[in-house]
Amino acid sequence: MSGVTFDEVTKRFGDTTAVENMSLEVADGEFMVLLGPSGCGKSTALRMIAGLEEVSDGMLSIGNRVVNNIPPRERDIAMVFQSYALYPHMSVRKNIESPLVANRANRLPAGERSERIDEAAEVLGLTDYLDRKPGELSGGQRQRVALARAIVRRPEVFLMDEPLSNLDAKLRTQTRLELVELHRRLRTTFVYVTHDQVEAMTMADRIAIINDGHVQQVGRPQEVYDRPANLFVARFIGSPPMNTISGTVGTSGTGGNVATEAGVVAVAELSGSRAGDEVVLGVRPEYLKPRDPSKDDPGAGGLRARVENIEMLGHERHLLTRVGNEVMVARLDPALPPPSIGDEVVLEADAANVYLFDPSTTERLGSGTSTPTATVVADG
Amino acid sequence: MSITVESSPDGATKRTGQRVREALLGWAFLLPAMAIFVTFFYYPLYRLIDMSLHRENRFGTAAPYVGPSQLVDTLSGSDFLEGVKHSGLYMVYTVPLGILLGILLAVAANRRLKGIRVFQTIFSSTVATSVAVASVIFFTLVNPEVGYFKDVSWLSLSNPDTALFSVSLSSVWQNLGLTFIIVLASLQAIPTEVEEAAALDGYGPVRHFLRITVPLISPALMFLAVVLVVAALQAYAQIEVLTNGGPGTSTQTLLFKIADPQGIRPLGIRASMSIGLFALTAIVAAGQYALLSKRVHYGD
Repeated sequence: MSGVTFDEVTKRFGDTTAVENMSLEVADGEFMVLLGPSGCGKSTALRMIAGLEEVSDGMLSIGNRVVNNIPPRERDIAMVFQSYALYPHMSVRKNIESPLVANRANRLPAGERSERIDEAAEVLGLTDYLDRKPGELSGGQRQRVALARAIVRRPEVFLMDEPLSNLDAKLRTQTRLELVELHRRLRTTFVYVTHDQVEAMTMADRIAIINDGHVQQVGRPQEVYDRPANLFVARFIGSPPMNTISGTVGTSGTGGNVATEAGVVAVAELSGSRAGDEVVLGVRPEYLKPRDPSKDDPGAGGLRARVENIEMLGHERHLLTRVGNEVMVARLDPALPPPSIGDEVVLEADAANVYLFDPSTTERLGSGTSTPTATVVADG
Repeated sequence: MSITVESSPDGATKRTGQRVREALLGWAFLLPAMAIFVTFFYYPLYRLIDMSLHRENRFGTAAPYVGPSQLVDTLSGSDFLEGVKHSGLYMVYTVPLGILLGILLAVAANRRLKGIRVFQTIFSSTVATSVAVASVIFFTLVNPEVGYFKDVSWLSLSNPDTALFSVSLSSVWQNLGLTFIIVLASLQAIPTEVEEAAALDGYGPVRHFLRITVPLISPALMFLAVVLVVAALQAYAQIEVLTNGGPGTSTQTLLFKIADPQGIRPLGIRASMSIGLFALTAIVAAGQYALLSKRVHYGD
């Protein structure tokens, strides 16, 4: 087994740069998710590991071996594609066997081949389907055939390019679990590309958030949620995403506050900013709630908002409000009586859970040093 | 949106008038197709069989009924069998070679290279060339007196042993445009991810082509095999332009004998040969289907 190392890797297509100076270390046996919006370069990064795209600049290694100029089939990797990429003319058995017989030079003896096929089919519940053609299988079964074809060769690294995107919601949740179990069982390095932050949060050991060809942040799921490095990460991780609004820092008593166009928000930790600084204030929906109208106190601050919609999710409610020019979402306890659409409300943010970002660099103020969240992230 | 189904209160005793109207409407819908089939297929077929049962006199003024004897004599005669042999050879010369060359050109042109469209256009240009024009062009190449290849013995049109092969090459060339376009289109329809998966699995170029590419384009190859066989059995214009059936009878295919530009054979005999050709085409097509259909994979 081995890890994967990007050392200032760049990929250019003509005049466009898909991946720029990317440095990323995927540890041996780690489940690394490359997460980002479509077109951010995450798939290109994965395809460079596979050898399907050439590296324009920099050094890419698998284990201790620089693979820049090594053809795909000699890299000892297996890849699962979004569209499954099964061979439609071959039976499931032949599909799974394919990587073991494709290269005549290092073909395994027939006995060992069928042993491995049966084992992979067993792991993925395909034993009864081995003689069928892919066309006779459901989407979920096809995806499992693609996984079986990947594990049968026992590669150093598994590469997965949005493997769950073509499955329906229920099957996706189930397959997610199966993939995590598979990773636990195999203890092999996984590099998994997705645009779905739920997949990333639920499966990854670590997430690399990518935007515009650059790695924005690498960290454990809870870490990137609690300590986003910049505005992009803050807005990309979390559903609904973090609310943001710009304002100016002021001081009062021990902490401080941020004055926005819609009102003043108390902040427990100024993270190095000083009175008069322009900042972008961020607060997650769970730390934003409408003030009880009966306890209304005009001097207490808060954001003046108008309720635009209320989304019921059963276990919680999302209150969609307009605050100045921004839409802000508050996560409500369904037990409490909700305001009505069109109501004017005042939103209060939990002062201990407010983030401040530098509007010019978009970096989070005090990132890396202080933790605005009250909870300390447990490692492992 | 809702769909209402109108049903009569008592479906079993639907009024006769309504039934007649529905039947008439049904026939009215059938009429255009029927008219075309009857005019251009069933009636000619009837006439063909009728002709094969009558023997024309020398001047074509009378054709008394002779029964199936003329058909039997013709189909077992040496003239017909020679036609079958020449048509069969023409098929053997043109079909495999045509498909092979089409695949080679298509594979060569299926790349993302600058200016590849120019080559794709050139390779497919014979589609837009009529058989007569193409044959005349080919004739300038193999013309026994002034052609560029007049000294190439195996292309000679004046040698009875090579003439049929030489003519068949012009067919191969003419069909190449079609073969090229069909194979190229089906190559481009192979999903990129399947190609990439094969590269990662470790297939080298040759095994990749034989194990992955050929099965995936097999429906196109099956289609071409059928179309090219039919084209071979129906080849006529190129033979007339290049050799007019000669030297001797060495390039007289079955269809050439039926068309009979020299007017040697009476109508009844040509009609009998046509029935023979019809049967031959049906047998070859059935054989092809039985042989190839199991190896053809149609998507999923």
